[in-house]
Amino acid sequence: MKAESAAIHHHDVVIIGGGLTGLRAALRIADADLNAAVVSKVHPLRSHSVAAQGGMNASLGNVETADGTVDSWKAHAYDTVKGSDYLADQDAVERMCRAAPTAVIELEHMGMVWSRLPNGKIAQRPFGGAGFPRTCYAADRTGHNALHTLYEQVTDRRIPVYDEFFVMSLVTTSGRCAGCTAFELMTGQVHGFFAKAVLLATGGFGRIFKKSTNALINTGDGQALALRAGARLKDMEFVQFHPTTLYGSNILITEAARGEGGMLLNRNGERFMKRYAPQLVDLAPRDVVARATEQEIAEGRGYDGGYVHLDLRHLGADRINERLPGIRQIAVDFAGVDPVRDPVPVQPGQHYSMGGVDVDCNGASSLPGLYAAGECACVSVHGANRLGGNSLLETVVFGRLVAEQIIRDAPKIPPCDDGPVRAAVLSASSKIDGILRRDGGERFSELRDRLTRTMSKAFGLFRSDREMSEGLAEIGRVQDRVSHISLQNKERALNQALIRLLELKNMLSLGEAVARGALARKESRGSHMRVDHPGRDDRTFLKHTLVGCEGDTMRVSYAPVRLGLFEPEERVY
Amino acid sequence: MKLVVRRFHDGMASPRYDGFELEPRPGMTVLEALFWCQETFDDSLAFHYSCRGAVCGTCAMLINKVPRLACRSQLLPLLKGQLEVSIAPYPAIGETVPWNPQEAVLVEPLPHLPVIRDLIVDMRPFFSFYRYVEPVFRPQNANPEEERLMDPAAVRTLELYTNCILCAACHGACPVSGQNPHYLGPAALAKLYRFHIDPREDGRGVAILRRADVQDGWWGCEMYGNCTIVCPKGVPPRTAIAKAVSALRHTQEKSDRRQNNANE
Repeated sequence: MKAESAAIHHHDVVIIGGGLTGLRAALRIADADLNAAVVSKVHPLRSHSVAAQGGMNASLGNVETADGTVDSWKAHAYDTVKGSDYLADQDAVERMCRAAPTAVIELEHMGMVWSRLPNGKIAQRPFGGAGFPRTCYAADRTGHNALHTLYEQVTDRRIPVYDEFFVMSLVTTSGRCAGCTAFELMTGQVHGFFAKAVLLATGGFGRIFKKSTNALINTGDGQALALRAGARLKDMEFVQFHPTTLYGSNILITEAARGEGGMLLNRNGERFMKRYAPQLVDLAPRDVVARATEQEIAEGRGYDGGYVHLDLRHLGADRINERLPGIRQIAVDFAGVDPVRDPVPVQPGQHYSMGGVDVDCNGASSLPGLYAAGECACVSVHGANRLGGNSLLETVVFGRLVAEQIIRDAPKIPPCDDGPVRAAVLSASSKIDGILRRDGGERFSELRDRLTRTMSKAFGLFRSDREMSEGLAEIGRVQDRVSHISLQNKERALNQALIRLLELKNMLSLGEAVARGALARKESRGSHMRVDHPGRDDRTFLKHTLVGCEGDTMRVSYAPVRLGLFEPEERVY
Repeated sequence: MKLVVRRFHDGMASPRYDGFELEPRPGMTVLEALFWCQETFDDSLAFHYSCRGAVCGTCAMLINKVPRLACRSQLLPLLKGQLEVSIAPYPAIGETVPWNPQEAVLVEPLPHLPVIRDLIVDMRPFFSFYRYVEPVFRPQNANPEEERLMDPAAVRTLELYTNCILCAACHGACPVSGQNPHYLGPAALAKLYRFHIDPREDGRGVAILRRADVQDGWWGCEMYGNCTIVCPKGVPPRTAIAKAVSALRHTQEKSDRRQNNANE
């Protein structure tokens, strides 16, 4: 491609990612009369937010409790902090929990259809690790309803969306982020985007693991872009494994299935969670239930192939159809099991990335002009383990908050010329030419499979120094080989193999960041369980892990955790 | 078995059909088979994908002459004839290539939208119909303090329509959409109906339906019902259209009567 044909776009704010966070931020920014554009590698409605099932936490207190106690933002904050194994920053948690009821009501007024109680109020259900029925829901399609609602609003405001644009690099100049380059899938052209602020809202990186509930597109592009541009990643070793993913395809079976009364049973028909979490049983937080499930399987009390049963039969067809219709359909379609008649085969699988781009309470990263929110960011509100129902909440709360910070910052940005963006377009374009010129090299699928197998084996639910060291070495070997991958398809337009190769490079950076963080954290906390360091060590490790790049080398450092509301205590459920 | 895939891109005089030999394992979906072909044989094979769990609406295509999601359609049941669906015939599902449904699964792009490459179609016309009906709730208050109440029964009816994932399977199955490129189509019409029946849109009931009160809107439907049969989410656009038509006729009759009374 010639330089003259480069397409350069000017916007006040470029939002990378069109899921709940990106769209919520776009609305707020557009309402402040700033020119925002969404750039996404898929159509916004195909974002992984659409797959969120169970719900969104907010202390509305719509459901009366047996003992007459009333939910509050502080109770929500306590559950979140305890669930995080005390690694969450409590000022951030406070902001999120205080803003939660407003966020839910705001969506309702935008037209989102929530499930309702007989009195007409928004329905709430119990979720793992929560002291109250706090999770607002739309059957088991909460993410779908929320995303379609926000997309309707974005469409109505005519906010430009560049869909099927794969962002290749962030552009930095004079120490700040001034835009990005993006490869347009349909044409093969590289575009330059010039902006006062760039917001990363690209979601998680679950696809670096072999078994994940995530959409196939969740390759952590935003985190990798930030790292390459000089920003830091935080707490990357904390990866959530969901206890109930459908055996075979690892499609999510929502925690709401247990919230509605579903029970986990081992092959002896035993409700094994009673042994691991006598009080909350099946509704203990995800890290606890996932490890227990994995242990049952490892000790021979699972079924052949490695799964246990999630029994919903006692709920009856009516309740299943009303509250969990999507789950019933998923089980029928993908496992050939009807939960009304048979238990559902489930096993733990990667589900969520607690870590992400290191940002402050307002979503600003350490690189001026670069912001991040949602799953791709780490504020941190989830610490070492996220509670179910808090991720959807984070998307809309921090989508709005980061937008407000950008609205405050943008007028202060001095104008600068778009030379660096033009240069970055040329550089991205020649990078693509270079890839397309290579012949007879490595195969993409072989290297991707090596990475995902390694991540699952060495950085799964139970970790040890020996396995992780081997894993890190293997990641290094794959990194050495990835620049030799060659593609058969030499065309620029609609070359999906090219996109997947670029994604794999991002995935490898994140794999290494997870590995380095996990190796250095010689304790067990939340989702990070070291069999060689089984206890939590607050004296040494009550701190955030930071990973930054110096040249090609990743370096680990630490930052303090902000306490303030609740002192760390033993975590018992 | 064979996966027979229609291939086409700019520069080809006419489409061709490639047969990919593969051993289907139990549970293997058409989407997984396409990935396998792409990674094993031909990395230029183009198709859309995202969630692989039948919720994002990305991978609708024509599979054994029925518009459906590739991620939700398993090979073995297709070969055994367990996923046969009977829909009213239309030109786009006529015979294109000889294929034996016991030994092969036939995969073609979703009909009624321009093919860009292989199984990727241009969704822009589909979304232009979506935008045409202005599917949006315009909140009255920027900072609402309270939720509005809704009857759970009303929510259950609404859910029938909010479940739409905009995959365009209905559009590819609609004989009218095939004939008339301006017809708004079942998805956009069902979306508009969803706003019509939302009890929170107080007082604007029939006014909302007016947005599609044109020949290429409600009145274009010929009640084939293929849309409702192929919808992977159980959304019934035909019912929505029938009810909208009847509501519009009813208001028309009422206003005619008023007019007549006034004239008398």
